[in-house]
Amino acid sequence: MSDEEHHFESSDAGASKTYPQQAGTIRKNGYIVIKGRPCKVVEVSTSKTGKHGHAKCHFVAIDIFTSKKLEDIVPSSHNCDVPHVNRTDYQLIDISEDGYVSLLTDNGSTKDDLKLPTDDALLQQIKSGFEDGKDLVVSVMSAMGEEQINALKDIGPK
Amino acid sequence: MEDRVFSSVHSTVFKESESLEGKCDKIEGYDFNQGVNYPKLLRSMLTTGFQASNLGEAIDAVNQMLDWRLADETPVAEDSSEEEKDPSYRDSVRCKIFLGFTSNLVSSGVRDTIRYLVQHHMVDVIVTTTGGVEEDLIKCLAPTFKGDFSLPGAYLRSKGLNRIGNLLVPNDNYCKFEDWIIPIFDEMLKEQKEENVLWTPSKLLARLGKEINNESSYLYWAYKMNIPVFCPGLTDGSLGDMLYFHSFRTSGLIIDVVQDIRAMNGEAVHASPRKTGMIILGGGLPKHHICNANMMRNGADYAVFINTGQEFDGSDSGARPDEAVSWGKIRGSAKSVKVHCDATIAFPLLVAETFASKREQTREPKT
Repeated sequence: MSDEEHHFESSDAGASKTYPQQAGTIRKNGYIVIKGRPCKVVEVSTSKTGKHGHAKCHFVAIDIFTSKKLEDIVPSSHNCDVPHVNRTDYQLIDISEDGYVSLLTDNGSTKDDLKLPTDDALLQQIKSGFEDGKDLVVSVMSAMGEEQINALKDIGPK
Repeated sequence: MEDRVFSSVHSTVFKESESLEGKCDKIEGYDFNQGVNYPKLLRSMLTTGFQASNLGEAIDAVNQMLDWRLADETPVAEDSSEEEKDPSYRDSVRCKIFLGFTSNLVSSGVRDTIRYLVQHHMVDVIVTTTGGVEEDLIKCLAPTFKGDFSLPGAYLRSKGLNRIGNLLVPNDNYCKFEDWIIPIFDEMLKEQKEENVLWTPSKLLARLGKEINNESSYLYWAYKMNIPVFCPGLTDGSLGDMLYFHSFRTSGLIIDVVQDIRAMNGEAVHASPRKTGMIILGGGLPKHHICNANMMRNGADYAVFINTGQEFDGSDSGARPDEAVSWGKIRGSAKSVKVHCDATIAFPLLVAETFASKREQTREPKT
């Protein structure tokens, strides 16, 4: 056995971004991938087997990041991709001039790669809350390699 | 006095009639004392009356379509080309026949009569509805069964059976159709994107005829014999449902109806010097589409309609050939017949006395 140093690249080993689930079992308020986008299901209707072939599920869903409405029709026995959706809370430390936020992570380091959200109402809440000097905790949603601040919590007056 | 009254009443009731002898055919049905001779039985229909006579006239009209040659047109038109003046060419030019039918007939056994005509290139252009296409393909994957008109709908739904009149098509047949056709649509979309193929309904149907590769299918024979099958209403049926679902999975497949209307009308417009004949089973889209194309050449020369429609509601489906004459869809001089009859009875009998018997005559050595 040689005395080489094996250099392994660290990577996101094992944790896949989606998992398969039978279309007929996906319900309203669940998650589904449509055209490569992670979405939240707002409507499901099933048409029974008939002249159109196998029974099919008609999904209407909203992209969790862009809020666009997407739809898909899938035979109910087929598998769909369901995204792993994670929510993590971070304390807001700073807002930079170019729109990036600085967040405090659990282990004390900072996370600086997120931009402010595009939703106007949420954006205003964060900016005004921060300017008022309040202690803010933001909820960051992540799915399929994308992240976005999607909610705000006010943990108390300064 | 009584005598005079009597003789005037007598002359009123027994008004002297015009003699029809020699002007009209006598009514005479088939005499079974001759035995059960089917060809003679069918020939006797012409003089049996009512729709039997209409069927007899229709048989005559189709035989005229099949017998006509350009050589029959005398004198030779002055503006004929050199080729058109050549007698052997004139002997070879025959009537162009348009065949139209509705989807219920393809669900029925008439599909096999249609297949015979296409297999032997006895018709030149076909027009049908979407069901008229998919029922033919589905029969190659799974059969249609005989049921009854009176089977209750809710019961059939619970059993996954679809009723077409007194025929039954299991849901599973359509599932098989879906599994068969979706990969073909994927291929077609690929060819559209990579090879710039612009699909039309008739091109799609030729492709499906090629893919089904089954001698019981008329679409297969239409592909082999290069007979175009037009279906402008392609989305209105199970095939349309498949296009709908396919567009969610992989969108982008384009099917151009404009190219096809050019081709269909072109079949009529550029038919000359051939005469044109229409054989239309049922009403609806196939009937109108064929008549409309022939309007582009100032009318067909022969027309046979076999349907159960009535004209009292003004529908095109129920309209008699004479209404089509008013539109220029059939020539005033044309031989046209409507047989008020379900085509499942009339059409096989008509083919027996026309297309099939002529073919049998040329096959058997004359004794």
